[in-house]
Amino acid sequence: MTEEPRIGVYVCHCGFNIAGTVDVKKVAEFAKTLPNVVVAKDYVFMCSEPGQDLIKADIKAHNLNRVVVSACSPSLHEITFRTAVSEAGLNKYLLEMANIREHCSWVHHDKEKATEKAKEIVRMAVAKARHLEPLQELEVKAETSALVLGGGVAGMRAALELANYGFNVYLVEKAPTIGGKAALIGYVDPKTKGAEIVSKMFDRVKDCPRIQVLTNAELIQLSGFAGNYIAKVRLNPRYVNEKCTLCGECEEVCPIEVSNEYNFGLNKRKAIFLPFSNAYPPYYAIDYRVCVKCGECEKVCRFGAISLKEEPKVVDLKVGSIIIATGYDPYRPFKGEYGYGLHQNIMTLFQLERLLDPDSPTKGELIVGNKIPKSIAFIQCVGSRNTTPGAKEYCSRMCCTTAINSAVKIKEKYPDMNVYILYKDIMTYGSDETLYEEAGKKLVQFIKFEEKIPKVSITPEGLFIDVFEYTIQENLRIPVDAIVLSIGMLPPRDIEELIAVTRVSCGGEGFVREAHLKLAPVEAPTKGIFLAGCITGPKNILESIRMGSAAAAKAMSLLSKGKLTIEPMIAQVNEEKCSGCAICVGVCPYSAISIKKVNGDRIAYVEKALCMGCGTCNAACPSGAMQHLGFKDIQLLAQTRAVFGGEMNV
Amino acid sequence: MSSVLIVGGGVAGIQAALDLAEQGIDVYIVDKAPSVGGKMAYLDKTFPTLDCASCILAPKMAALLRYPNIKLIMNSEVQDVSGRAGNFKVKILKKPTYVDWSKCNGCGVCTEKCPTKVPNEYNMGLSQRRAIYIMFPQAVPKRAIIDAEHCMRLNPPPKAKEKAKGPLCGVCERNCPTKAIRYDQQPEILELNVSAVIVATGMELYDPRNLPELGYGKYQNVYTNLEFERLVSATGPTNGEIVRKSDGKHPKKIAWIQCVGSRDIRFNHYCSAYCCMAATKQAILAKEHLPEVQCTVYYMDIRAFGKGFNEFLERAKKEFGINYIRGKVVRIDEIPETKNLKIVYEDTAESYMKADEYDMVVLSVAITPNSKLPLPVELTKDGFIQLKDPYLDPVSTTVEGIFVVGAVAGAKDIPDSVTEASAAAARAALIAKRFSCPTPEVVK
Amino acid sequence: MSETKGEFEPKIVVYACNWCTYAATDLAGTSRMSYPPNVRIIRVMCSGRIDPQFVLQAFADGADGVIVAGCHPPADCHYIEGNYKAYRRFELFRKLLETMGIEQERFRLEWISAAEASRWVQVVNEMVTQVKKLGPLKPNLEVRE
Repeated sequence: MTEEPRIGVYVCHCGFNIAGTVDVKKVAEFAKTLPNVVVAKDYVFMCSEPGQDLIKADIKAHNLNRVVVSACSPSLHEITFRTAVSEAGLNKYLLEMANIREHCSWVHHDKEKATEKAKEIVRMAVAKARHLEPLQELEVKAETSALVLGGGVAGMRAALELANYGFNVYLVEKAPTIGGKAALIGYVDPKTKGAEIVSKMFDRVKDCPRIQVLTNAELIQLSGFAGNYIAKVRLNPRYVNEKCTLCGECEEVCPIEVSNEYNFGLNKRKAIFLPFSNAYPPYYAIDYRVCVKCGECEKVCRFGAISLKEEPKVVDLKVGSIIIATGYDPYRPFKGEYGYGLHQNIMTLFQLERLLDPDSPTKGELIVGNKIPKSIAFIQCVGSRNTTPGAKEYCSRMCCTTAINSAVKIKEKYPDMNVYILYKDIMTYGSDETLYEEAGKKLVQFIKFEEKIPKVSITPEGLFIDVFEYTIQENLRIPVDAIVLSIGMLPPRDIEELIAVTRVSCGGEGFVREAHLKLAPVEAPTKGIFLAGCITGPKNILESIRMGSAAAAKAMSLLSKGKLTIEPMIAQVNEEKCSGCAICVGVCPYSAISIKKVNGDRIAYVEKALCMGCGTCNAACPSGAMQHLGFKDIQLLAQTRAVFGGEMNV
Repeated sequence: MSSVLIVGGGVAGIQAALDLAEQGIDVYIVDKAPSVGGKMAYLDKTFPTLDCASCILAPKMAALLRYPNIKLIMNSEVQDVSGRAGNFKVKILKKPTYVDWSKCNGCGVCTEKCPTKVPNEYNMGLSQRRAIYIMFPQAVPKRAIIDAEHCMRLNPPPKAKEKAKGPLCGVCERNCPTKAIRYDQQPEILELNVSAVIVATGMELYDPRNLPELGYGKYQNVYTNLEFERLVSATGPTNGEIVRKSDGKHPKKIAWIQCVGSRDIRFNHYCSAYCCMAATKQAILAKEHLPEVQCTVYYMDIRAFGKGFNEFLERAKKEFGINYIRGKVVRIDEIPETKNLKIVYEDTAESYMKADEYDMVVLSVAITPNSKLPLPVELTKDGFIQLKDPYLDPVSTTVEGIFVVGAVAGAKDIPDSVTEASAAAARAALIAKRFSCPTPEVVK
Repeated sequence: MSETKGEFEPKIVVYACNWCTYAATDLAGTSRMSYPPNVRIIRVMCSGRIDPQFVLQAFADGADGVIVAGCHPPADCHYIEGNYKAYRRFELFRKLLETMGIEQERFRLEWISAAEASRWVQVVNEMVTQVKKLGPLKPNLEVRE
């Protein structure tokens, strides 16, 4: 700053709010004695039109290049006065507020002492003002496009919403079909089938030219920042193209058989397979991880739809924002956990859900071990709420409602079947409570256990559950034909890769952490990255869908103008002073700082669009190279020294 | 650019307004209270992080003022909505505040000089405010309002009126430094044209007097959970000191009673979703304020379903020693000499009636939707606003262009409300922009 | 240290984060609470911005006490974890104070949320009483400019 500071100081009476306790005239007189102060005035309400006009007129008349308003808290009127000074042609960051109301007149009663304190507060503000610099808001161009990771209900919802809004969307899904787990759930509520919801969403996705669906695809690298990301996406080979007519002949000749994850292991599938009947895109796919490339399918296909020569491809996608909706994995019970894996009639809630789906291997019939059971018991909290040794501490939120919904469905279909639900607490929160009531009316039997968990015995006479019933304080031995383990949710298996690529972070329970648990639930701490569905923790389908909409909405409001404004009060590096020690890199909570080589020297580099302006890098910088604009060392030291009448030279 | 109306200025309404305004869309927020903030503004801390509620809400409230395209219409009610998506006509009754808000700068001199003291609603009647008042210190907009019913000038006691020659009192008018007082202000009808409406009217607390067996309103030391929230709050009537109404002493044993009015076929069938964690939070806060206090929660099921909830519950049990009893409270009796309370309950662990004595009882009351609105939307049998298709159109009501968010569409906590608010903002923005830009949608 | 006419009036410099503690100091004002006029507040965006250098400068120039204040751990911080950074820096810094001849009691690291105006008032009262008891600081350190 070459220009000598010319400061105007404006002391507000705020009616009697300030003037009642502080001698504002004396404060203004005192201000005139401070270095670089050209003019100092007092006025009844500085924030009023005439008050602001007074300041504007003075800026012009006295050629002021700094303004100190001595009034209320900056949280109240800083914006008001910034606007006023900028209307008079001054950079709005050349304003400093001296808070003599909240910090002085309102908390002290002794007029003399309060006046002395007000003088010092003004002296501190003037000291900082002498070192203020004009700052500029920056604008960067932003892509109105988005990458949605994960093609489940949350991801599809986000993609549809964004497309409606005119964004181009890449919907990236690891599996050969979109639809996620909702596609596999029999009934998500008493009337709605998971597959129905998903296929309705498919129809909309198909009809939308702005959504490009990339299946068998994964994000492998992400660079850039909000508005300007470059996403490297690997497209793994599907080996089957759009000529496929779903005739299914290839499937018959394929020699490889593996467990069918689309039926949660209830049956087997081939290496070439159709995930489910209405999968999208509607073609067969070859599981590249298990295919031995024998070529049988290629030979039998009459439509030339199969080519085993296909290679993985990597594409660069330019997008403005990323929505992460990669969901969850079901909890994996260990062998022998409640007898799991030891008896064919002990299954998980997901497998039961699959069985109840009309599109299942049993066509929706509840057939276990070749017959319809006479009794079935659900064991809740498997893998959740610290129930078993391998369990997580959290509640998985959806399992109670899902189990009760299935129990009601079973009771409707097989009224004579005995249905038991063994639980710790029934979590049918909100309106789902009515489902719990309904289950009671349908005579589903609820059995509460506490610390002592139920024991499953597999005997020649059949399956038995021993449980200590809490409400009657008695041991029960219940013979059952089938057992359903209501397994919870785990973070997806590949979450580590996701973290490595997108730099999101995880909470203690292993799911991705949101910017704020309460008020920013769909935003990642990094600007431009949004979260939807179970990636942040267990949710039900409705909640995931709503998060999809909300994440899309956030991306829209960030990018809809096609540009981003970057706040100027951020970190700035003095390249000459920087030694490249990288301490700042480690302390930045937003990964906004990196080390770059400039003419062979290591220099810290601040990505302006990522910096949120906390200033912690400034405090950590050992050489003073990193400075927080608006709160630079010299500005804060000057303010400190001014408490005692000292100065920092300009 | 056309505009969007948001009915209700709670945390959901605020979030929707900010999202819309950020996209350059004009927003009106109508709220019946004199400040935005809704129920969250009453909270001391939020579960499960124990974040201070005003630390996270106040910046959002203040942010509303930064957007010139957000208009706050406070102390007002929507009277009628007609028309259709893209062109709704809205009639709003703006009730008089008796203060010219374009002049009032919230200095608060009037609120100190006013001679009439009345119970302060913001502190649930546990402290007093004046007849002219600012709703709470962080109110947005920070403006004074006269409570006409209690104002000496506007509603003078008949006897005083007879005696007086001219108008009574007038203290606020004489002391107002900006000459903002308008005793003759009349109700006004505002008519707006908007493209879309977002309903975010939230909830009210169920009146526990409907369960006379619990003695609320009859026994001094029985509180609702919102009253307790104010009591424990640093900005509350006692600056966060937990004391009994009857004798001003610190309680030694506090009980929370869950499901008051919820999960009860006599009243509301639904679960209110927030109360288990709210009670857990309040018990922890009580422990932080009074380390010696014994806290017990009487519950049916502990609904610890959200992110971090079960962990929070475990902490409450292990770290703070909060006691949880699965039991249905049948009756509360006051012990006349001590004003202590005897809770009679069925301990479901032993299927046996028991009784225990406490010196303070907090009722975790149900929420009821604020859905009695002059809007053509349909309601569920529980009185919540009916969604059109929750799976495919998650925040739409049965009327195109009217969206619904937050607790008025079903009991839910803050993050779910905020999520829906952003979702609805996007849908509303779509309508607002479509009807303002001539190019048709390209989507097939 | 300040000149005293009768009783010793200490001067205490406060570094407060914008989102929590500064908001609490504002709330103390709007709630018309009352506390001794010995504190001078310097606003920063985050407690993680506060450099021990500032505190040393304050002591060198004549502060009788310094308060560094931010948002409550774990999660109140507006910038994810700036409060933890302040915590790490100043817990270490506190230990070094004695070696410079400054009593540890002259320095406080506090977490004060935006709602805790009464806590702010309490901290000021305690600090003023404490420092009055200690008397004026006679620094034996030189800080180079």
